[in-house]
Amino acid sequence: MFADYGQILVFMLFAIAFVAIAFFVALFLAPKKPSYSKESTYECGEDTEGETWVRFNVRYYVVALIFIIFDVEVVFLFPWAVVFKELGLFAFVEMAVFLIILILGFVYVLAKGDLQWDKPQPVIPELKRQIFKVDSN
Amino acid sequence: MQQQFSEILVSLNQFLPELTVIMTLLVCLILEIIIRKKSSVVSAVAIAGLLISAYFVYLQAGRQELLFSKMLVIDPYSVYFKFLFILSSVFIVLFFDLSKEIDSSTHSNEYTVLILSLVLGASLMSSSINMLMMYLSLELASLTSYILAGYTKKEKRSSEAAIKYIVYGAASSGIMLYGMTLLYGFTGSMNIYDISLFLSSESFSNPFIIVVILMIVAGMGYKISSVPFHFWTPDVYEGSPTPVTAFLAVTSSAAGFALMGRFFITAFASSFTIVGGYYQVIQSINWQEIIMVLSIASMIIGNFVAIWQKSMRRLLGYSSIAQTGYMLAGLLVANQLGITALLIYLGAYLFMNLGAFFATMMIVNRINSDNIEDMKGLAYRSPVVCTAMALFMLALAGIPATVGFIGKFYLVVALLQPGSGLIWFAIVLMLNSVVSLFFYFKVVKKMFLEKPEEENYSRIDFGFSYNIVLILLAVPTVLFGLYFTPIVKWAEASAVFFGIK
Repeated sequence: MFADYGQILVFMLFAIAFVAIAFFVALFLAPKKPSYSKESTYECGEDTEGETWVRFNVRYYVVALIFIIFDVEVVFLFPWAVVFKELGLFAFVEMAVFLIILILGFVYVLAKGDLQWDKPQPVIPELKRQIFKVDSN
Repeated sequence: MQQQFSEILVSLNQFLPELTVIMTLLVCLILEIIIRKKSSVVSAVAIAGLLISAYFVYLQAGRQELLFSKMLVIDPYSVYFKFLFILSSVFIVLFFDLSKEIDSSTHSNEYTVLILSLVLGASLMSSSINMLMMYLSLELASLTSYILAGYTKKEKRSSEAAIKYIVYGAASSGIMLYGMTLLYGFTGSMNIYDISLFLSSESFSNPFIIVVILMIVAGMGYKISSVPFHFWTPDVYEGSPTPVTAFLAVTSSAAGFALMGRFFITAFASSFTIVGGYYQVIQSINWQEIIMVLSIASMIIGNFVAIWQKSMRRLLGYSSIAQTGYMLAGLLVANQLGITALLIYLGAYLFMNLGAFFATMMIVNRINSDNIEDMKGLAYRSPVVCTAMALFMLALAGIPATVGFIGKFYLVVALLQPGSGLIWFAIVLMLNSVVSLFFYFKVVKKMFLEKPEEENYSRIDFGFSYNIVLILLAVPTVLFGLYFTPIVKWAEASAVFFGIK
C-alpha cells in the first residue's frame, strides 16, 4: 500500500529538483544589466501611478459576483451552441429554462438596485461668514 | 446521446417534489420584486408550493428507484425525511411571517426563497448516494443557512453569528471534502454502494480509513452540531433571529442526520444484506466507536453546560447539542431498530423543538429579552404560552405522555437489544436525561412558581394566529405521546435503504 506512494514521492522530489535547478542555473548564468526601465513596475506600458496596495471599493465585489452569473452562463452556452443542431428541440427548451432562471436572477439584482453605483455626494464648501472685507474696487 | 436524454427525462418525472420547490422559489423571487414589503402573500405562496411538493413526495411512498445515472435514489428513508423537511419548513415560514424580529426593510420576503432553497438542499442530502452529490447538496443547504443566520443585517449580533457560522462551516466542509477525496482515492468510486463493496472485500485493509472517517464526520458533525464541532451553535442561536434558529435546529440538523445515516449505513455497515435485523458491519473499520465518542461527548457537554445558561436561546442551543447526542445513539446501534428509533426521535424532535422555539419567539418578541430571569412569573401574565412552553420543556426532557418520551423509549430499546453490548450506553443516556430535567424545569419553575416582580402586572395577550400555530405544535406533542402507533409504524416502514435487504 505505502509502496505505491513511493512513486508519488519520487515524482514530487523530481518536480521540486527540476524547478530548483532551472531557477538557480538562470540565476548564475544569466547576464545582469539593470537599468531604470527594467527595474520599474510594469503597467501595460503606461507610467505607473501611486502605490500597488490600493483598497478596492467594496462595490466591485458585488459586480464581480454578478459577473459570475454570466461567466457560468457562457461556459454552458458555448458547448451547447456547438452541437445545437444535433440535439434538437429538447435541448433548446432546456437551455431556455436555464437562461430564464439566470435572467430572473439578473432582473432581481437590477430591481433590488444592487447595480446602482451611488457616488458619494461631494461636499462643496460654502461661505457662511465673511472673514475679510473685500474691497470692491 | 439520445439515450442519455431519455434517461434524464425519465428521472425528471421522478424529481417532481424538488422541481415544485424550485418553481415555488422562482415565483417567490418574482413576487418579492413586485411586492417589495413584508407581506403574507409570499408566505402563503411558499406554503402552497411546499404542500404541493408534499403531495408529490406522497406519490413516491414505498418506491425504490435510481435517478440521474445513479446520483439520487428514491426509497422509504428519503421519503420520510422529505416529509420532515417540508413539514418543518411550513412551520418555519409561519414563524417568519409572525416574527417581529424581521423588520420590513428591503429584504423582507427573501426568507421564503432561502427556506425553499434549504429544503431543496436538504431533500437532495437525504437522497444522494454519490459523494459529489452529497457534498454539493450539503453546500447548498449550508450556504443558505449562512445567509439566514445573518438575516437581520443591521443587527450587529446577527452579523457576528453569520461570520462565526461561515468560518466554522467553511473549515469543516473543507475537511469533509478532503476526507471524501481520500476515500475516493482508496476505493476508486464516488458511489457509496461501490465503496461499500470495495471496503467489505477480504483484501481491503488500510489503517488510514479511520482518519478518513474522522474527516468526513467533521463535516457532518458540524451540520448536526455534535460536540467537537459545536462551537458555532450557542452563538448562532443567540445572535440570529429565532425563526432562523428553529430552522437550523430542526430542518438543517435533520438533513445532517439524513446524510449521515445513509452514508454510514450504506458505505460502512452493509454489503446490502441484513441478518437478524443487523446490517453486516464491516469488522475492520470501527466507525461505531467514533460515533459513540461523539454521542457521549455531545450528551454530557450539552446537558451540563446548559445548566449554567442565563439566556433562553443559548439554553435551547445547548439542549439541542444534547439532543444530537441522544439521536447519534440511534445511528450507533447500526441495525433497523436503531435507524427506526432515530427516525421516530427526529419526528418527535420536530414538534417539541419547533414548539419550544415558537413559544420562546412569542415571549422574546413581547418582553424584548431572552434572559430566563426576565421570564419570572410569566405564567401569571400569559398562561397559554407558558403552559405550552412547559409542555415542550417536558417533552424535550422525555417525560411520559409526551412525544419526547416515545422517542427516548425507542432509543433505549434499540440500545438494550440482546447482543448489542450497549447497556452501559443506555444507562449513560438515561443519567443524562436526569441532568437535563434540571435545566428544563428551571425554566418552568421561573414561569410558574415565582411571582412577577411588579405588584400590578398586566396580562400579555397574543393574537389569534399565534395561538393557532402554538396549538398546531402542542397538540401533536401530546397526541403522539399517547397514540404513537402511526408514527412508530411509519418510521419502521421508512428505515429501508435502497437495495439493502
